[in-house]
Amino acid sequence: MRYLRAAFARIAGLFTGHRADADLRDELQSHLDMETAENIRRGMDPDEARRQAKVASGGLTQAAEAVHDQRGLPWIESMVADTRYALRALRHSPGFTAVVVLTLALGIGANTAIFSVVRGVLLKPLPHRDGDRLIYLRHSTDRPGGANIGFSVPEVRDFRQGVPALGGIAEYSSWSGILRGDDDAVRVSVGLVTGNFFEVMGLSPVLGRLTLPRDDGPGVPPVMVLTHAYWKRRFGGDSGIVGQQVRLDGAAVTVIGVVEPAPWFPDRVDALLNMVFSPHHLSAFMVEGRTHRMTEMIARLAPGASVEQATTQVAAVYARMQDAFKEAYDPGSHYRVAVVPFKEVLGERARLTLWLLMGAAAFVLIIAAANVANLTLMRGVRREHELVVRAALGAGVARLRRMLLAENLVLTLLGAVAGVLIAVGGMGLLVALAERYSPRAGEIRLDAQVLGFALVLSVVVALLLSFVAALPQEGTFASWIAAGGRRLAGGRRKQRLQRALVVAQIAVSVVLLAGAGLLTRTMIQLANVDTGLVTEEVLTMQVPLVTPAQLMSDPSADATAKARYERMRLEVMALPGVITVGLGSPMPLRRSDVRFDVKADGKALAPGEATPSAELRTANPEFFRAAGIPLLRGREFLTTDRTGSAPVVIVNQTLADRLFPGEDALGKQIAWTGDVLRFTPISGDWRTIVGIVGNTQDGGLDAKPGLVVFMPFAQMLVLGGGLVIRAESNAERLVPAATRIVRSIAPTAPIENVLTVSQIKDQSVSPRRLNAALISSLGILAVLIAAVGIAGVLAFSVSARTQEIGIRMSLGADPGRVQRMILREGGVLLALGLALGVAGAFFAARVIQGLLFGVAPHDPATFIGVAVLMAAIGTVACWIPALRAARIDPAITMRTS
Amino acid sequence: MAEKLDVQQGTLALMILKTLEVLGPLHGYGVARRIEETSNNRLTLNYGTLYPALLKLEQEGFVTAEWRPSENNRRAKFYTLTAAGRKQLARETREWHQTADLIAAFLAPRRGGETP
Repeated sequence: MRYLRAAFARIAGLFTGHRADADLRDELQSHLDMETAENIRRGMDPDEARRQAKVASGGLTQAAEAVHDQRGLPWIESMVADTRYALRALRHSPGFTAVVVLTLALGIGANTAIFSVVRGVLLKPLPHRDGDRLIYLRHSTDRPGGANIGFSVPEVRDFRQGVPALGGIAEYSSWSGILRGDDDAVRVSVGLVTGNFFEVMGLSPVLGRLTLPRDDGPGVPPVMVLTHAYWKRRFGGDSGIVGQQVRLDGAAVTVIGVVEPAPWFPDRVDALLNMVFSPHHLSAFMVEGRTHRMTEMIARLAPGASVEQATTQVAAVYARMQDAFKEAYDPGSHYRVAVVPFKEVLGERARLTLWLLMGAAAFVLIIAAANVANLTLMRGVRREHELVVRAALGAGVARLRRMLLAENLVLTLLGAVAGVLIAVGGMGLLVALAERYSPRAGEIRLDAQVLGFALVLSVVVALLLSFVAALPQEGTFASWIAAGGRRLAGGRRKQRLQRALVVAQIAVSVVLLAGAGLLTRTMIQLANVDTGLVTEEVLTMQVPLVTPAQLMSDPSADATAKARYERMRLEVMALPGVITVGLGSPMPLRRSDVRFDVKADGKALAPGEATPSAELRTANPEFFRAAGIPLLRGREFLTTDRTGSAPVVIVNQTLADRLFPGEDALGKQIAWTGDVLRFTPISGDWRTIVGIVGNTQDGGLDAKPGLVVFMPFAQMLVLGGGLVIRAESNAERLVPAATRIVRSIAPTAPIENVLTVSQIKDQSVSPRRLNAALISSLGILAVLIAAVGIAGVLAFSVSARTQEIGIRMSLGADPGRVQRMILREGGVLLALGLALGVAGAFFAARVIQGLLFGVAPHDPATFIGVAVLMAAIGTVACWIPALRAARIDPAITMRTS
Repeated sequence: MAEKLDVQQGTLALMILKTLEVLGPLHGYGVARRIEETSNNRLTLNYGTLYPALLKLEQEGFVTAEWRPSENNRRAKFYTLTAAGRKQLARETREWHQTADLIAAFLAPRRGGETP
């Protein structure tokens, strides 16, 4: 209380200075008068009385000063004075100020922006209640596409019974359906979930209710919970949607609520439904089939349980399972279950890229700070005179240090403000980048904590800068003053520090450049990957006419849909500029979700060998020619390959090599196999291979091509479908006309992924391009800053050595020799920096190996290129001060010294 | 002649409060004279010590200050003890006695030996 009161009084004292000073003067004067009067009364003469009184006072000015300090907060006052002085000093050197603020702004801006992404995507607690207790279980195998295979319902049941460390286990199953609107139809990505899903996830509704255990099982109405983003996007945030019915895959579903914003995994879903929506999910196939793995498991740790306990218990239950059902876990595939905190799963794709960016940004800040330190050092030398004078006038070392700190704080805070503005500008780009890697991109904010981060950064940089400048040590003032304030042009220690900073700058720049080089090469390699298609003038459009659910309930829908596809094909074919049109599913260069085990006639698996699995695709006779997929051997499909005729397939090169190594696959028989077939309308009949086509990059440009089996469009149920339109030129031009035709034939069907092959390719390359572009711009920034740094330090060295150079020249050194001398000085720094940088880059490259494609982490071409580039830029940076040195006129320097 | 002492940190506030308690409202000069006299002129107070201490007591709410005519019709700033100041004086007096006893006990010769 007493301290609080005193503190308030002192803060108030900051503002009442003038009146209080006058008051104090009166008070001290009255004291002096009383004492003088007393002295006179004792018999002194008036002059002596006044003199004695003054002696006893101990100095009025000192007293006023002491009271003044007690009245206010002296450190704030001196801070204010220092800041005012700093602003004045910086106004006097606008060039220095501008360079420093801009350099720091770039460094702090890059760090702030990237930190906001790292925080939003990786660090921030999940929006879910107790989000750090959420666990994701990942089931994987070594087989292609086996990174995350999901669980079957019996497996989930076993875990639910056998793992007490998991308090609640929710099931989630991906599904995609067609949502009919009033005048359109769109594909929605939905999750089918158990009633406990939201309880386990720890999510609350913003509107209506979420699914509950009573929504489980058969015999309940299908209900839908909208995700927040989809509710905003599709329904414009209309709260009247709750309680209404929508039509999904032709069935009526009631919207019961909207869930709060949250990241979704593994898919970005639009809505969540109870399981009853899909009869298949409640069928015996699904509920009893141990290999029918369509379910993701998300669990919440039981109170008091740890991830380690959960891991141990899950492993024990899983081992028992594998023991009891040997046929469901073929040992060659290495089935395994990982227990991963949900937050980590959400961040895992983004982690490496983001930390890489954060590291690069930190490097840029280091280089920037080093540069500013160098500038400050040089300026410090020029200010030595001023500092000595101030010291002589009674400013203590601490006070001088505070003065420098105030100046540096002004600089870094200005830099931070400009940096935050830069960050705001760059956020859009970074969020776009993060969206490709993380479902949490929506959580990226430039909030108080991020701004706090920028503030802390700038204060730390200011502190560091204030301590690199050498101050006169206590006790050495005398020698400084004795030197008459003569310029002590950069002592050896200081020059060494400057040089070390330049070497560090070059080294760090080389590391950044090498990273940028490797990522750029990756991007170029990727863009040059052969898609497997012989032409890029191809337009694809996916038009799903029927859903699997509709096919099951109405067998005639298949024939109707095929007829409509054929009409579309013929009408589009008639458009001018169209060479041919194919039908099939999915579109070329798109991954197929339909994948089954496959076996070859007369071939047994080697012991321990994993059963091969292949993508199932459909194609009509024109498909391969339209898509530009080369037919290597055999024939294309014919119109005679239809329902009722002999079952035939065309396979890709990879499948032929894998199933029939060293043989001719043509004419051989293969069949779909495995337990899962029972749940599908696809038969396990033997099918004859009539053709072999080239591999295509369906899983992305950086993926190894997998096994593919094409079935005739006519011999297979419609799995979806679309048009592959090959044009003479400029395929994109056909979009409006083709869309019009499709609309006229199927007015309510969604038209999806209308893309040319080059656009599809670009989708695969663009995240890498963004990556490479970001790192490259940071690298270029670093190199520029470093170049300015080396030039500045050499220029400073030249001006400090003007006299020496003048003497050398008057003793007969020619300008060329002087120039070489300065170049050599810079060259040593450059060489040292390059050597350190290349060594550092070797380490850094290993760290980012996972982001590279088609280029070795120690790619010699990149390393040599980077070293040459840096050397060239460094040499140019050295050249300018060297030239200046060579132009020194000895006569003038000798005269002025 | 008695050796001149500097005022010990912390004790000055106590002396000022006690002076104001004994003599009632008083100006800075009066306080200084009283302290010097009480100490038999072993303590001298210059302004730079006295006035910051008075200001501090005022900021803490233990004294109030106002301008008034003095005994010989000069104007002077008089300091008056507040209720809080009285309480603080009592507390500090108690603490001082305790400390003094403790130090005395600590420094007392163990075996009734020589006294300084």
